[in-house]
Amino acid sequence: MRLRRAGGRPGRATFVCAMLVALAACSNNPYSESDDELKVRYKTLPGPTKTLDPAVSYSSLEHQVTANVYETLLEYHYLKRPYTLMPGLSVAVPERQELERGRVAYRFDLREGMLFQNDPSFALGGEGRTTRTIVAADIAFELMRIADPAVTSPVIATFSKIEGLREFSERLQALRDETPEFAELRIDRQYEKAGGIPGVRLHGDYGLEIVLTEPYPQILYWFAMPFTTPVPWEAVVYYDGEDGRPFFKDHPVGCGPFVVSEFDKQSKIVMSRNENWYGVRHPEWKAPGTVYPSEGEAIDDELGRLDPAYVGRSLPLLDRVELRLEKENIPAFNKFLQGYYDASGIVRESFDKVVHEGALSPEMAARGMKLEKQVDPDLRYIGFNMNDPVIGTPAGDRGRKLRQAMSLAIDVVEYNRVFSNGRGVPAQSPIPPGIYGYAAEYRNPYRQPDLARAQALLEEAGYPGGIDSDTGKPLRLSFDLGDTSTAGRLRFRFFVDQWAKLGIDVEVAATTYNKFRQKVAEGAYQIFMWGWIADYPDPENFLFLLWGTMAQSTSGGPNTANFDHPEFNRLFEEMKGLDNGPERLAIIRRMRDLLEVERPWIELSHGESYALYHAWMKNVKPAGLSLPAAKYVDIDPVARARMRAEWNRPILWPAYAMALLATMIAVPGVLTFLRERQ
Amino acid sequence: MLAYIVRRTAYGFVVVLGVLLLLFALFFLYAEPVEMARRAVGEKAPPEVLEQWVVNHGYAKPTWWNAEAPGDTMIADHFRSMLTFDFGRSDSDDSPILGRIRAGMGPSLSLTLPLFAFGLVFGVGLSLFVAYFRETYIDRMGVVLCVLGMSLSVLLYIIGGQFLIGKLLRWFPISGFDPSPGVMMRFLALPVLVGLAEGLGGSIRFYRTVFIEETGRDYVRTARAKGCGDGRIMARHVLHNAMIPILTRVVVSIPFLFQGSLLLESFFGIPGLGSMMVDAINGNDFATLRAMVFIGALLFIGAQILTDIAYTLVDPRVRLS
Repeated sequence: MRLRRAGGRPGRATFVCAMLVALAACSNNPYSESDDELKVRYKTLPGPTKTLDPAVSYSSLEHQVTANVYETLLEYHYLKRPYTLMPGLSVAVPERQELERGRVAYRFDLREGMLFQNDPSFALGGEGRTTRTIVAADIAFELMRIADPAVTSPVIATFSKIEGLREFSERLQALRDETPEFAELRIDRQYEKAGGIPGVRLHGDYGLEIVLTEPYPQILYWFAMPFTTPVPWEAVVYYDGEDGRPFFKDHPVGCGPFVVSEFDKQSKIVMSRNENWYGVRHPEWKAPGTVYPSEGEAIDDELGRLDPAYVGRSLPLLDRVELRLEKENIPAFNKFLQGYYDASGIVRESFDKVVHEGALSPEMAARGMKLEKQVDPDLRYIGFNMNDPVIGTPAGDRGRKLRQAMSLAIDVVEYNRVFSNGRGVPAQSPIPPGIYGYAAEYRNPYRQPDLARAQALLEEAGYPGGIDSDTGKPLRLSFDLGDTSTAGRLRFRFFVDQWAKLGIDVEVAATTYNKFRQKVAEGAYQIFMWGWIADYPDPENFLFLLWGTMAQSTSGGPNTANFDHPEFNRLFEEMKGLDNGPERLAIIRRMRDLLEVERPWIELSHGESYALYHAWMKNVKPAGLSLPAAKYVDIDPVARARMRAEWNRPILWPAYAMALLATMIAVPGVLTFLRERQ
Repeated sequence: MLAYIVRRTAYGFVVVLGVLLLLFALFFLYAEPVEMARRAVGEKAPPEVLEQWVVNHGYAKPTWWNAEAPGDTMIADHFRSMLTFDFGRSDSDDSPILGRIRAGMGPSLSLTLPLFAFGLVFGVGLSLFVAYFRETYIDRMGVVLCVLGMSLSVLLYIIGGQFLIGKLLRWFPISGFDPSPGVMMRFLALPVLVGLAEGLGGSIRFYRTVFIEETGRDYVRTARAKGCGDGRIMARHVLHNAMIPILTRVVVSIPFLFQGSLLLESFFGIPGLGSMMVDAINGNDFATLRAMVFIGALLFIGAQILTDIAYTLVDPRVRLS
């Protein structure tokens, strides 16, 4: 008893001391302090990756990894705008070769002596081997994977323009269905036995010729995306999810400037420098994608992106990139403000605190932050179902005037002010800024809010004041949306209210997204709102959304408006095969003029991203397209560590005050109670 | 008791079969496989790719009956995979679901176990304290604080906790997770504090009521008459006799510790099963959802049986038959 009591007091004292020490040692730093000296770029990942398989991955979230791990034959110039292709693994950007029967070919020549990253899977090709040389057959293998039905690549339709790709896909499936033994063969042998793709021709180890059945100049952009990266068959075979090995989709094996060195899908992905990258192994080549660029836009010079200290320097500049999963915006933004993320978007809740009259607020500027604005190559639009008898093509001139009137009623500047903190560039045509064919000076006469003209057009259409002159009944339309949230309904309410000013009664039919897609598939909709983000910087990537061949009702394609205009279709087919130039531009203008009058869409706006960067980040250039930007960016770790320490000193007095308060509340009560009991 | 356990387990099995049938009806009769494919492969995927995905994931099979190959139907696959605990692959990213559950259980438990333990200790301890000082300003202040605490939304606790403790006071990281034992507590401190603060009001109110009810009983008066001190009465007699309601609350919640916490894990970036559920809901990942709901049903049935058994341990008068 005595012993316990003797030990009890020091025990309590130790506990109290330990708590005080623990409090004094507490820190909000989520990273290891040993990394403070390293050039580690910390980025947020808004959700877990689904797949890092380059044949399948098609999201900008996953592209943050795949673009930096999988090197491509071509790549975009980091600073030049409009976006310009330059050689990557290929020695040059290939020229189009015309072949017989309207076919075209592109010949790539790979640089010799490039290696894949080190990986145990290469032991399948020879004992003790940890890497091997990249050959043209690795790209052919990846194209065969895109064609493979078991891979479910979302871009098979695009690559079906390669001669014989579709037939290869069917042959492969038939062989697997007919011969179970065939399906058991190693994947590269299956492809070999299925006969390969005739339109993918190898010339020696390093020559690759792609033959297309029709002119499609945009194919080159696809060779700047990870879909067409060289993939080693060894990795696909080895990473099969068996015996504790991960799946290939969770274990990238590439040849880019970085390798995935740590992969925890639910928590973080770490990319480290790839010592086998051709830029590291062969700096003497001075290949365009391996050194910091010396050219850019005029503004790049002004903003220090052409700093002589960087121009011509070998890449990558960082030691590591860490992507941390942050599903919620607010904690991620707060961690950015504490200096634990290097860059961030701006959460709506903090917009006014961060941005004042379009510029950085003084409070943020005092912390050395920088604000970058970027108009995204995307489009948000309201579409009309052109198959609808009231509002679509069957309604003829009446329907056209109704669409024109509805287009004139929408004030998108006000919409952006109310719902997007004023962010967004009002769209005049489907083509966004930065894409060939965009004309900054063009003003669509049906996209300038004008209620008087809209009312006149409505009257001409036979709906004076929103009343159908034929039946005497009010015109009732349905606006279908796949969002049942209050915020979503509010947004749609805005448009409905604007049309109500013309007397048009538009009912919002809000359903779940799945139900909405079902309605679209069944053609049971009148008006909808949708958007599109560019896959590559070409007008074809936007105008094909109105090409009759892509109509949702006939092909299940992305032309949800079911716009099928013979003249537009003819012009599109002519335009898509042409290289950029006056002839192509003239056709694009004619298509734009046609859309101006026909109004299958009400073009709303092109997105405008605001991004914040800390002062220690160098060479940041926002890009609307997903580019492999990690190799160009630099970090000043000393400045970062200093600012983090300054911004994150813990404030401990409230803890002591709370403890004191609790004691002050409890002690008199206890004393009083004890006294009363006595 | 063994007969009772066997009988309850058999009832439980029937309930599980019912749950499985309901799950199938809810998830796979209502859902459009093409839409699941679209969420998995991406908005821009052409129809043929979506159809291929549906075939590859077994959703193109007949739903109830296949005359050519009996047993090769969606419902047979559903029951087979659930009852053999071979949950298959996620609809969202093709990961093996069992592997994801195993991986997520650790982070979930690392959050829910301390939350449960501290919640129990503080809940019982503080309610004993306020019950001991009943009808004093401490009790009244406790009631006010508890009711206030129960009235606030859990989201307010989370965002407020992150703002106050993580951002303003800078004691702990606002969010994140690191499984290394040395630094894990740094990340768990804030979510545990927030979870504790959120749950404590209700717990104290519940346990206080139980304890006050017990303190009015005859045996307490008798103990006091015999000269037993108040502290001893509360700690030894009242606490012991209040075990049945406490156990009911505690044992039922133990199995659910494995399922984690949806909101806390999502907001604090803890890669546990709660966070996985949120992802599955957002991503139309019905394969993962049904596995989690099925496991939840099993845990619930298991918890009911465990509670019954626990009664016999704390109260010898209870007999299971």
